[in-house]
Amino acid sequence: MEEYNSGEEVSFNADEASVSVKECIEVIIGGLDYNQNKVNQWTASIVEHSLTQLVKQGRPFKFIVNCAIMQKSGAGLHTANSCYWDTATDGSCTVRWENRTMYCVV
Amino acid sequence: RYCCSPATITVLHAFVFVSCQTAFVVDEVSTIIKESVEGAIGGNAYQHSRVNQWTTNVVEQSLSQLSKLGKPFKYIVTCVIMQKNGAGLQTASSCFWDNTTDGSCTVRWENKSMYCIVSVFGLAI
Repeated sequence: MEEYNSGEEVSFNADEASVSVKECIEVIIGGLDYNQNKVNQWTASIVEHSLTQLVKQGRPFKFIVNCAIMQKSGAGLHTANSCYWDTATDGSCTVRWENRTMYCVV
Repeated sequence: RYCCSPATITVLHAFVFVSCQTAFVVDEVSTIIKESVEGAIGGNAYQHSRVNQWTTNVVEQSLSQLSKLGKPFKYIVTCVIMQKNGAGLQTASSCFWDNTTDGSCTVRWENKSMYCIVSVFGLAI
């Protein structure tokens, strides 16, 4: 991996990441209805594009991007995450998006 | 004729020992997760009022057991519990990391009334 910085500690900017991810979601599934045949492609595209945008920010970070798309049909869905890391430098952000037919959580 | 000196052989053995101790071992992690899920929700039916507590218990228990392994890793554990009622759910994840040291594993568990999907990501320090 390349050297990124002069040795200063950088911390994860959740707002910036959130904005990048929202744009990716809008571009890929904005205006579309839940489609079982396409949802596989959509989740893959969303994680790949989000990751590409995050890496382009050029910060010295490893990234993990997770995306869940669920059809709106009254079912209950609960998610949680827990992290064992360096709280000074590491961070996370979650983006929730929905339209008439589906939820998307990244 | 080429011959390894004793010093070289010792170094190779040390390298193999260290990498086994510090690698992300999918089977080991998978077992920990399965036990955490069984312990938190095994035998229960989906209940809206309890699911918040369940997801929390699964991730906390998993993380606690993973950190006890004492390996030089940062961990991220995510848990999704979904009621079985015919809805479609698709998830994907993508990672920008060091392929030689980092790893992930996903465990899918279900019973008659719900699905539970737990993903663990391990990043070497």
